[in-house]
Amino acid sequence: MSELAFKPSRPLTLGIELELQIVNTRDYNLTRGASDLLGVLAKSGSPGDIKPEITESMIEMSSSVQASHAGLLAELRAMREAVAAAARGLNLGIAGGGAHPFQKWNDRRIYDTERFNHLASLYGYLAKQFTVFGQHIHVGCADGDEAVYLTHMFSRFVPHFIALSASSPFHQGEDTLFDSSRLSVVNAFPLSGRIPFVRGWREFEGYFSKMRDFGIVGSMKDFYWDVRPKPEYGTIEIRVCDTPLSIDRAAALAAYAQALARYLRLERPRAVSDDLYIVYNVNRFQACRYGLEAELIDPFDGGRAKVHEDLVATFPRVAAHAEDLGCRPVVQGLLMGARDSGNDARRLRARLKETESFADVVRWQCEQWMAKSS
Amino acid sequence: MPDLFFLPALPLPSNQIIWFGVLLIAGVFGGEIAKRAFFLPRITGYAVAGLAVGPDGFALLGRPMLDELRVFADISIGLILFELGHRIDLGWLKRAPRLALTSLAESGLSAIFIYFTLTQLFGVGPLHAAVAAAIGLATSPAVVMRITADLGAEGQVTERALLLTALNCSIAVLALTALIPSLYLEYRGGWRIIVLHPLYLLGGSFLLGLVASALTLQVLQWIGKRVEVQVLALVALILVTVGVALILKLSVLLALLAYGGLLRNLDRNRSLAAPDFGLIGQMFFLILFVLAGANLDLAAAGKGIAIGAAFVAVRFIGKTAGVVAFIPGSGLKARQGLLLAVALTPMSGLALIMLQDTQSLFPEFGRALASLVLPAVVLLEIAGPILTQLALKLAGEARPEPATKS
Repeated sequence: MSELAFKPSRPLTLGIELELQIVNTRDYNLTRGASDLLGVLAKSGSPGDIKPEITESMIEMSSSVQASHAGLLAELRAMREAVAAAARGLNLGIAGGGAHPFQKWNDRRIYDTERFNHLASLYGYLAKQFTVFGQHIHVGCADGDEAVYLTHMFSRFVPHFIALSASSPFHQGEDTLFDSSRLSVVNAFPLSGRIPFVRGWREFEGYFSKMRDFGIVGSMKDFYWDVRPKPEYGTIEIRVCDTPLSIDRAAALAAYAQALARYLRLERPRAVSDDLYIVYNVNRFQACRYGLEAELIDPFDGGRAKVHEDLVATFPRVAAHAEDLGCRPVVQGLLMGARDSGNDARRLRARLKETESFADVVRWQCEQWMAKSS
Repeated sequence: MPDLFFLPALPLPSNQIIWFGVLLIAGVFGGEIAKRAFFLPRITGYAVAGLAVGPDGFALLGRPMLDELRVFADISIGLILFELGHRIDLGWLKRAPRLALTSLAESGLSAIFIYFTLTQLFGVGPLHAAVAAAIGLATSPAVVMRITADLGAEGQVTERALLLTALNCSIAVLALTALIPSLYLEYRGGWRIIVLHPLYLLGGSFLLGLVASALTLQVLQWIGKRVEVQVLALVALILVTVGVALILKLSVLLALLAYGGLLRNLDRNRSLAAPDFGLIGQMFFLILFVLAGANLDLAAAGKGIAIGAAFVAVRFIGKTAGVVAFIPGSGLKARQGLLLAVALTPMSGLALIMLQDTQSLFPEFGRALASLVLPAVVLLEIAGPILTQLALKLAGEARPEPATKS
C-alpha cells in the first residue's frame, strides 16, 4: 500500500465547498461571527457540513457527495436556509463573492485552532490577506491515473471557471480592474500554481515523496494548486472559482465541471502534453483581469478567442454528456448565455455604479445569497 | 499706565476656553495613565481625572465653571444618544423577539429590585424609590459604546450589549417622563400641568426627532454617500437638534434617541452609512466623562455607601436574572449570557443628566433623590468600565492584542 494511495470513487460524482463571508448588518464590514453562527447551527442540528475557516469572518459550507446537479442544488438550498435563518437571528449577513469589497486585511482575526494559528504564524500578513472566498469543486475519479489526466486537461478550461465565477472586482476599498482579484492573492503563496507535468499517479507519488522528504509539505493540503488531485477523497479538486453570489450559480459551475469531466474521460480528445502549460499563466491572468472578455490562446492550435466565444464553442462538445448527466439546460444557460448575462463581477460593478456605496453593494450581496429562491 | 496699555489687567481674567482645554488635557493624561500604569480602561482614567480637577479634588474647577461647561456635556450626550438610537434595529427585534423580552426582563427586574430594596431595606418613600429605579435601570450608553470601540469588540455579546443598552436607556427615559405626573401631584401643580407637561415632553421631543430625521434624510440624499461629508452634516444637524430641544425645554435625551432611532428605521434606502464620529466623537466622549467625574459629590456618596452598594448589587442581580432567563433559544451560550449581563453594569453620565433634569424641576425632591442614586453612580463610574471591558475580553470579542500594536 502506497503512502499516497488514491482512494477510488464513483466517477463523476460531485461535491463542492463554498467559503462564505460573514458581515454585520450595520456597515456591512466583515465581522467576527463564525463561532457564534456555528454555535447556533450546532444546536439546531443543521443539515450538511459547515466548518470554521481561518478567520472569524468566514465559514465553509460543504456538500455531501452527489450524483447529479439536481441533488446538489437541493442539498445546497437546504443548507442555505439553515445558515440564513441562523444568521438572521444573530443579525448577521452572509454573502458570496470572492473578496470583501472594503475590509482592511489587518482587522481580521484568526479562528482559534492549532492549525490556523500555525498558518498565521508561518505566513504572517499573507494569512490575513488570504481573507478571500473561493468555491472548490470536486469531481470523482476512478483511479489516480485518471485524476492526473483530468487535472492536466482541466488546465485548458481553468480560464472558463475563473471568468464564469469571477466575483472579486473590489479589494480593500478599490476597484482592482480585475474581474477576479482573489486569485492574485493566492499567487503569493510558495506552493500555489499548478501540478508539475507528471504522466501518471506513480510519477506523482514520486514527486510528492520528494517534496515531503525535503520537508516542504506534509500532506496534499499544503499544495494550493489551481487544480489538484485529492487522493483521500478520490477526486480532482478545481480551486480557481470565486464563491459566486448565489447558490444556483455555484451549482451550475459544478454541473459544467461534471459535464466537462465526462467529456474528457470518455472521449479523451487529446493526449496530455507539456504544451498545455505554455500558455497557462497568460490565459489565467487574462481571465482574472478581463473575465469573459479575456482573449485566450489555445495551447493546442494557437488559435485566439474570447472566453465567451470559447464557451459557446465548447458547449456542443459537452452537450451530450450534460444531457446524460441530466444537467443540460443548466450547462447550456451557463455557457451560451455568458456573453449576455455576464458574470458576478460585472453585476457587482453595476451595483456600485448605481449605489456609489460599497456597504450597499455588500448589502445587496447578502440579499442575493440569503434570498429563498433565486 | 497708559504706555503699557497692551498688557492684560491683573488679576488675569480666565475664560471657558482655557478650562475646556484643562478638562481635555486632564482627561488625556488620566486616560493614558489608567491605560499604561493600571491596565484599566481609558474612560475610568477620564472620570478620575475629572474628580481630581473638580470641586471635590484639587478644585481647579469650581461649581460655577462646571455649570458653564454643561453645554459640552449636552453636546456629548446628544451625539451619544443619537448614535445609540441609531443602533436600535427594529428589524432584528422583529426577527428575534426574544431580545425584546430580554430587554423588558432585565430592565423590569433591575428596576423592581432597586425599588423594593430602597423601600423595604432603607425605608425610602415609594416615589423616591420609583424615580431612582427608573434612573437605575439604564446602562451607561457612553461607557458601553466607548469600551466596545476601544476594544474593537465584535460579536454577539457586544452587539447585544449595545442593543440592550439602547433599549434600557429608552425605557428609563420614558419611565422617568411617566413619573412626572406623580411628582407634580406630590409637590405642586394643577391638573393642567400634570397632564400637559409629560405630554409636551413626550410628544414634542418625539416630533422634534421626527422632523430632524426627515430633514436629515433630505440632506443626505443631496450629499450622497461620501462618508466624511455625511458625518460633518450629521454633527451639525445633531447640534441644531440639541439646541432646539434646550430652547423648547424638551427632553434632549428623548429627542436625540428618537432622532437616531427614527433615522435608522425610516432610512429604507440606507442613505446614511453607519455614523462614525471618529475623533470628534472621541473628544466629546472624553469631555463627558471628565465632567461626570468632576461633578461627582464624594461626600454625599460616602454617606450613602451602604445604599450605593445595595443599589449596585440588586441592579446587577436583576439584570443578570433578566438576561439569563431568556438565554435558552437565544443563540447564546450560558457563559455568554452571563458576560452580557456583566457588560450591562455601567452607570454614569446619563444617570447624572437624568438626575440633574429631575433636580431642575423639583429641587427639593432632587436633593433627596441624589443621595439615593449618586453613591451607585460613584461606585460604577470606576467599576463599570472595568467590568464591561472584562466581560467583552472574556467573551473573546475584543480585538487580539498584537493587532492593536502595529
